[in-house]
Amino acid sequence: MARSGDRGDLLAAGLGPGPVREQVASKISEDATWVAAAQDGDRAAFGQLYERYARMVHGVLLAKVPVSDVDDLVQDVFIRALRRLSTLRETGSFGAWLAVIARNVASDYHRRCVPEEPLTDDVSDTRIQRGASSGDHDGPAILDAVMSLPDAYRETLILRLVEGMTGPEIAARTGLTPGSVRVNLHRGMEQLRAKLSADARRDGPEQEKP
Amino acid sequence: MDAGNNRTEDRPSKSGDYLWDGSGEPDPEIQRLEAVLGKFRHHSPAPAFPEILPGRRWTFFVWRMRLFPALATAVVAAIVAVTFLVYRMKPAPTAGAGWDVSSVEGAPRIGRKTISAEGISRLGIGQMLETDGLSRASLQADDTGKIDVDPSTRLRLLSMASGQKRLALDRGTIHTFIWGPPGQFVVDTPSAVTVDLGCAYTLQVDDTGAGMVRTSLGWVGFKLNGHESFIPAGAACATRPKVGPGTPYFEDASAEFRSALARFDFEDSTPLQRAPDLAIVLGQARKDDALTLWHLLARVDEGQRVLVYDRLSQLVPPPATVTKEGIFRLDQPMLDLWWNELGFDDISVWRHWERSWAGTATPAREK
Repeated sequence: MARSGDRGDLLAAGLGPGPVREQVASKISEDATWVAAAQDGDRAAFGQLYERYARMVHGVLLAKVPVSDVDDLVQDVFIRALRRLSTLRETGSFGAWLAVIARNVASDYHRRCVPEEPLTDDVSDTRIQRGASSGDHDGPAILDAVMSLPDAYRETLILRLVEGMTGPEIAARTGLTPGSVRVNLHRGMEQLRAKLSADARRDGPEQEKP
Repeated sequence: MDAGNNRTEDRPSKSGDYLWDGSGEPDPEIQRLEAVLGKFRHHSPAPAFPEILPGRRWTFFVWRMRLFPALATAVVAAIVAVTFLVYRMKPAPTAGAGWDVSSVEGAPRIGRKTISAEGISRLGIGQMLETDGLSRASLQADDTGKIDVDPSTRLRLLSMASGQKRLALDRGTIHTFIWGPPGQFVVDTPSAVTVDLGCAYTLQVDDTGAGMVRTSLGWVGFKLNGHESFIPAGAACATRPKVGPGTPYFEDASAEFRSALARFDFEDSTPLQRAPDLAIVLGQARKDDALTLWHLLARVDEGQRVLVYDRLSQLVPPPATVTKEGIFRLDQPMLDLWWNELGFDDISVWRHWERSWAGTATPAREK
């Protein structure tokens, strides 16, 4: 499909030379094949798409909703995608399409749970529930610091630092341009470093982590 | 989404490659963050998905063939009846292709018809979506993207062709998130055409036709005839009727810088008038503002180009293959090479799409 190829060309153009470019183009082509098979009723193909995209969906949701609800919402996203799969014409844009479904599911979650407050970058509710849900002292605090960053940065950083995806993978999975992902990673990381060191200074040297 | 605050160095640093793709010298702090935050990583196995209903296909079994004459007669009769009723009711000019529209708040309208709070309406080609001061709406097209429409906005659907989805924003504000192929989602405004290059952005048009685009993810191309601006995440660009797009800038630039740039773009008309504002822009420019200075190279007269060249060279030295003389004569390949040193996307990404913009550089109604 020519248009899907265009997306692949664009991604490749921003990824630099060599193997990374080829891997991304190859994976986009595989995705298109699986999407087409799933549209024909092949559940195994949809399972492949789940394996490939679950981390991305999980990361997008984790950037917006409490960690305790993320796993359930990941399944909601894939069920919603499955039901609407026949409407997807750009099979090469599956990742970007899925990412938007995930963001919409997160918005719906907030509308359902806290109707009196619009969805904003204020993640204080998420912080409280996240902190209470984990026995690890460091993880929730650092995740809270990530959550205090602007939306674009926190989503990209969570995909990189939590889900373990590389920059090229994030671009290929979410449909963002590699340049945007790179910029978001670097700027987000700088802000996160500043935030963590400010928090460490504020909390005093006895709580500072090595 | 505010992706533009507190901007810092974006090019790969010592740990840059490691942050980008895990290669290069590992950064201990990033490794520690990966170890700590990795505990939140997705681990759930795939659920049992329900059966997928494939797209409906015509299958003529033998037993169905026996019913074919009666079925055909019934279908033809139904078509005739429906066609008669449809023509008699003189419907709105809705085509099959369009955007799904839902009301978010208040009573947005498509033409004269108010969109119900429940359910989804359709914005067809040639139709107009309008929100009053208390209404909001949301549009979605599965193969293109999502648009949130603010109050006091008027939006028209011009085209849903496979290679180009085109809208016209007459006034108001829209927030777009586009997941369709870059270069195919186009919005006309009274003073410029915006072309999506894989991004999310906010576009505003006031009652005079002046516009503003703010990019939160990816890139937007802003273009009118031969005048063009490329706006990355965190940057903004104004546009004015009969002038076209101004010079893009990062929104965390100083107020003095932005005011001087606005005067340079839209108020000053001679090099003499522009000189003091250009001096402010050049004097206040930070490394990030190389975005603005690179665009200014082609917007100043020859006498002032040397000033822009010198300041941009201080901020981001040009590559060895780029000469001063080449930049002075606005040699496109040299300008592109210098751009690639600024640390944004490779310029070939949008040069590729620019070639397909020949037919989109002018708002559709002006053609």
